Amino acid sequence: MMTTKPPACANAARSSELLQGQLNSFEQAEFESHLESCAACRQWLEDQAADEAQWREASHLLMADPYRSSLDARREHETTGSHLIEQVITALAPTDDPEMLGRIGSYEVSGVIGVGGMGVVLKAHDRSLDRIVAVKVMAPHLASSGSARKRFERESKAAAAVLHPNVIAIHSVNIDGALPYLVMPYVRGQSLQKRIDAEGPLPQLDILRIGAQIASGLAAAHNLGLVHRDIKPANILLEDGVERVAITDFGLARAVDDASLTRSGVIAGTPQYMSPEQSRGEPIDHRSDLFSLGSVLYAMCSGHSPFRAETSYGVLHRIGNEAPRTVRDINTDVPEWFDRLIHRLLSKNPADRIQSAHELVQLLSACIAHLEQPSTHSLPSALRETKSRRRSWLAAVTAAVLLLVGFGVMTSRSLTTVSDKDEGSVTSELPDDRSAVGSEYRHSDHATQWDALPITTTLEIQRVATELEEEARTPFAAVDSR
Amino acid sequence: MHKFPETRDSLLMQVRDPANREAWEQFAQIYRPVIYRIAVARGFQDADAHDLAQQVLIAVATAIGRWEKSEEETRFRNWLSRVTKNAILNAVARRPKDRARGGSSAQIGLDELAECDRATEELLAQEYRREIYLQAADRVRVNVTADTWQAFEWTVVDGREIAEVARQLGRSVGAVYSARSRVMYRLREVVRELENR
Ligand SMILES: [Zn+2]
Repeated sequence: MMTTKPPACANAARSSELLQGQLNSFEQAEFESHLESCAACRQWLEDQAADEAQWREASHLLMADPYRSSLDARREHETTGSHLIEQVITALAPTDDPEMLGRIGSYEVSGVIGVGGMGVVLKAHDRSLDRIVAVKVMAPHLASSGSARKRFERESKAAAAVLHPNVIAIHSVNIDGALPYLVMPYVRGQSLQKRIDAEGPLPQLDILRIGAQIASGLAAAHNLGLVHRDIKPANILLEDGVERVAITDFGLARAVDDASLTRSGVIAGTPQYMSPEQSRGEPIDHRSDLFSLGSVLYAMCSGHSPFRAETSYGVLHRIGNEAPRTVRDINTDVPEWFDRLIHRLLSKNPADRIQSAHELVQLLSACIAHLEQPSTHSLPSALRETKSRRRSWLAAVTAAVLLLVGFGVMTSRSLTTVSDKDEGSVTSELPDDRSAVGSEYRHSDHATQWDALPITTTLEIQRVATELEEEARTPFAAVDSR
Repeated sequence: MHKFPETRDSLLMQVRDPANREAWEQFAQIYRPVIYRIAVARGFQDADAHDLAQQVLIAVATAIGRWEKSEEETRFRNWLSRVTKNAILNAVARRPKDRARGGSSAQIGLDELAECDRATEELLAQEYRREIYLQAADRVRVNVTADTWQAFEWTVVDGREIAEVARQLGRSVGAVYSARSRVMYRLREVVRELENR
């Protein structure tokens, strides 16, 4: 019950003094023990704090919040990171310098830069050369595996051979101690992941410049026969002050994969940027990195990776089987030609992707020139929506229709004997919902695979013919209309 | 019933300035959870709801200049609720069949549209208010002792008996009354501050 007048109690004025923090601890304790026995003062205190509706509102609004529980769930795996840091820090050798956390080899550790699936990155002082370095320490649970250590050594020595401004250099590798580590220059800056988290989609020109530099670094490594295997925004460093991008963790993903696979049978870390061939555990080549780079470009455009699901399994399934939503669906500022570029990199079949990092560098450089000076630099022909592409569609459809017609005439009698069961199974293979998200991609996939489908009934033939015809009429309509 | 507070002109003017990242951060910090909760209330899955929040924020960012020029008299909240509603309706209409509840999601009747309109607006007002309260609670919580906060949370938010909470905390009933009232008073102050920011 709301009261508007203070009670006729000698202590009534204490209520507002308590709320405004005007009581010292002795006075407060005294008033609290008075509250114990004086119902009138209790009521008055509550009324002074807030009216009834406000108490109810606070109760209602502060109840369990789905947004925060969702964020908590997403952060859960990050907290395992802090556990990892603790393990590594306690494993460091003691140091005489009270300013330092500990020592590893001849490096005095002053702080923690970051933590990832592979281990912990420490900031350290290299006394012999008087410079600040980043020391990447292998996670203790990985270091206990002999084969992981060997791989770590082999891969990091191979990576050390890549000398390129867009790849973080490796000064030295050490696998003799309890915890293997490698030493890199200390770069002041943030990861691309952090920038995307903070800003969401990036400006188009930045996307192109960052993308071209990543591709350039990849090209240098690919030339030496090295595949990164774990291209993702968290592995891309943006240096402060200069417009330079550097790839970290070359080849190290493999060392981690093997060790964590043998330990638990599951893939550690986030698989969101994996290629389809990686997600199936098949052998990979440099084009796997190009798929991952396509996902990184996608993330810069949209603010998140293209294949997301509640579980790692769900992510892998999507990578292997589903077409992502087009980036223009999420961010209409992205030009259509860039959408096309990403789409090509994200081809499930490596042979359909842009074939080399070098080719991609040239393509992205031409895009930058085009964006900066559209009048003097036209869009690279590979990204234009060309007539020849339309023409090839038309040719395919014409051939298909001719074939179908001939096929239909020749076999129309025998086709009538095909059972309903077969008909059903074929129908389910075909796209049936054009309104679905991303159907324009799936649709095209089916259309281009038409000759792989067992066409067994006249009904089916008609359906496929109609579909191909529609496809020919509006080959890019779904993309263009947005 | 609380009215949707008019978004402060000051913050709004700052948000319109693309160079002012801080204002945008502040703005997104409030509205991202708001949009997420609306999406979840409308049956979206977790990842899709995060997605929608991102989409709406992009829409706001790109459209904010347009709003300024063409609809000077339109109040910001009306405009924002329209952008949100449109984004939600679009997303619902484009959802793949297997994730939609019930029949074909592409066929949204006019009644449903109008109903969604009104309900979304109400949700928007309520969820905005909730976000302000939650952020205020974050600030108050770090400035009081753990016992004091617990006394408030257990009795006010969780609705537990005061005597029981006092026993569990090893404090007197008077101390619990004192604690929860002090938190409530401070909470209101911070809510006011955040609203007038
Ligand atoms: Zn009294």
